[in-house]
Amino acid sequence: MSLNNEPIIVAKDLTISYELHRERKKLTALQDINLEVKAGEFVVLVGPSGCGKTSFINAISGLVPKETGSVTVRGEEVTGPGPDRAMVFQDYALLPWRTVESNVRMPFEFQDLGVSEAEKKKRVQECLELVDLDGFEKSFPYELSGGMKQRVGIARALITHPDILLADEPFAAIDAMTREAMQAEMERIVMETGQTCVFITHSIDEAILLGDRVVVISYRPGKVKEIVDINFPRPRMSNSEVKTSREYAQIRDHIWKLVKDEASQTNRGE
Amino acid sequence: MANKGQQNAQVFDTDDPDRIQDIGWTAREVWRRTRGFVVTSINIITFFILWELLTIYGNINPLFLPKASDMFMELWVGLTTRAPEGAVFSGSILDHFLHSFNNLMFGLGIAILIGVPGGLLMGGNKYIEAILSPYVWALASLPRIALVPLFILFLGFTTTMQVTIIVISAVFPIMINAWAGVKTTEKSLLAAARVFGANRRQLYVKVVLPYTLPFIISGIQQGIGRGLIGVVIAELFGGSNGLGYLIQRSADTFNTAMNFAVLLLLIVMSLSLINFTRWLEAYVAPWRSANHL
Repeated sequence: MSLNNEPIIVAKDLTISYELHRERKKLTALQDINLEVKAGEFVVLVGPSGCGKTSFINAISGLVPKETGSVTVRGEEVTGPGPDRAMVFQDYALLPWRTVESNVRMPFEFQDLGVSEAEKKKRVQECLELVDLDGFEKSFPYELSGGMKQRVGIARALITHPDILLADEPFAAIDAMTREAMQAEMERIVMETGQTCVFITHSIDEAILLGDRVVVISYRPGKVKEIVDINFPRPRMSNSEVKTSREYAQIRDHIWKLVKDEASQTNRGE
Repeated sequence: MANKGQQNAQVFDTDDPDRIQDIGWTAREVWRRTRGFVVTSINIITFFILWELLTIYGNINPLFLPKASDMFMELWVGLTTRAPEGAVFSGSILDHFLHSFNNLMFGLGIAILIGVPGGLLMGGNKYIEAILSPYVWALASLPRIALVPLFILFLGFTTTMQVTIIVISAVFPIMINAWAGVKTTEKSLLAAARVFGANRRQLYVKVVLPYTLPFIISGIQQGIGRGLIGVVIAELFGGSNGLGYLIQRSADTFNTAMNFAVLLLLIVMSLSLINFTRWLEAYVAPWRSANHL
């Protein structure tokens, strides 16, 4: 990992808002976000539901237009999706009529990246091996368990060798046991590929175990409330000392208080 | 839940001897899998036997309820004989069945050719949707039988009139289902396709269309039901051939056994077609039925 490179993603005074269709009002999801993500860094966003975490990740992916400010990737303004950014979705978003192999291959099909057929085949194989799904090429998503589906989603995201991996609560719908296994796998994959990763979660443990930095976002309008550096050595998932350490408990408590303040505002209604 | 276990079991490596074990067949398991068919068969056979006994010993006027065996006889004879060449009127069920069936298939074909593109366009373009939807809803909600006199006025007692009524009956369920399919395409699938570089055309061809296909098939399934009503109505009201006409004529000539035979044939035809589309839907979209196994 090369943490000391210059920033690959830069958000400057980024504001995103939505029109509330019925009331002709505008909801500011994110306001004046300033954040720099370095190449190879794993940044985790936490915050209460509806605080605009997803909007932020969608602004980086190019799915959602920004209102003011800017998001740049390698110095270039984001205007739409691109092959340098890939995404893992909470509900997997696999095409149910396609096999695992065909789903993983999908990014090559939609855009011409100048990759040869032989290379595509090789990469499909590599990515499936990386997520431990070799042998399941011909299975359909509905035949797989939730954890396996999400591993297909991760393989699909890695196939084009993107610089940036965006993940929107990828393990939220997965049961607790599988979830831990998936977190370990995520950490291993990101360590192996050296990918830059922006990751959303509701789980503070997940945030601390995976993130180099944890960004706490406040509730409506979403602003960066605090950025917490996490300095545990990797791999953390397989190291039981991390979770039982004093420092871990302190960081956990600290982030929990930050999030709780914000979550209590969610409960007030609005 | 037991089924879910089976579902997961198929994806495991079947070469691994420890994972998959041969559990053999037990009488209980064979019965569990065949009991639906066995019970239904016995049920239906008993029904016809009771019917037969009732008409033999129940002192029932055969004008109102013919013997089941007479009905089957009419059906058998009707399906195995055809009218001689040049006959003005055919008493053969097969002739009338073929007329109705061909009309239904032809009408359904046209309904699909109009309904599918129409529904896709309405789902894909807000302006086309805004322009067409009032007419679609108006015609879809109008009882189609009300249009029959008008079509007879326009087209006379012709096959064209009969087919037109079938088309107008079947086209709207197909169109509305295709439209709904496009509209309900999962947002996350569209988002994923866009993130991975799909342009507008690819979104339609590679995501929206496959997603909509099972909707179209269930539209066709509904269309078959409606189309069959259209067939019978069109032939009852105006025509000198087809199963609808035969129903009318057999009643007029007090041939109740023939009447029942045609009704039975209609039931079998309708169920066969609908089951075919069910199978087709399960075949092209196995993920939909897998969720509620």
